[in-house]
Amino acid sequence: MMKDRGGERRGKGEGGGRTFRRRGMGRRKVCRFCADKAMLIDYKDARALGHFLSERGKIIPSRITGNCAGHQRELTTAIKRARTVALLPYTAAYP
Amino acid sequence: MADRRYETLVVIHPDQGEPGVKELTARIRKLIEEQGGTVSQVQEWGLRDLAYVVAKQRRAFYVLFEYRASSKALAEVERNLKLTDAVLRLVSVRQAENAPPAPQRPARRFEREEGGELEGADQENLGEEMA
Repeated sequence: MMKDRGGERRGKGEGGGRTFRRRGMGRRKVCRFCADKAMLIDYKDARALGHFLSERGKIIPSRITGNCAGHQRELTTAIKRARTVALLPYTAAYP
Repeated sequence: MADRRYETLVVIHPDQGEPGVKELTARIRKLIEEQGGTVSQVQEWGLRDLAYVVAKQRRAFYVLFEYRASSKALAEVERNLKLTDAVLRLVSVRQAENAPPAPQRPARRFEREEGGELEGADQENLGEEMA
């Protein structure tokens, strides 16, 4: 996460050394809550929290969403609170 | 004892109906006040769909209370609510002293509000979970 190579991939030819490079395509993810300070994490806001749930109702890891550790932690407590009052599901809705 | 800011979200059985919810809301309010608390806001969210079935119900009423009370008062209020059959679930959270009051409408999505001191990270919360 720390390594920002300006988002550019370098040519294959260079360095056989142990330089770690971002694998695959895509750009560096930035924590959405850090980027937008107006975005508050609130357990009552089920719709907003829903963005961070998978289709099965699991919490999406920060590895995928790019959230920073602090905000991810806040997010998980918010989601868990929302679950206790049935604003969010524990698992996917069953038919 | 220092009073603290709390908020409690109560999930009420749908069979109570609107009048029943009103009555229960008034009762809870009185309960908080009897414990020496001051209620700053009560929000009725109305009948909402539940994310999962609770007590064989798919929908329930939600009421949010914002108040200031001692921790003892909170414990007593919670104890009382848990004994109330019509209350299906509840969650109490401590609010930061400088946190803005909950917006009138339950927030639906991330909205940009200008000006608010937007913390959250320093929001000391004590969650109360019910099994």
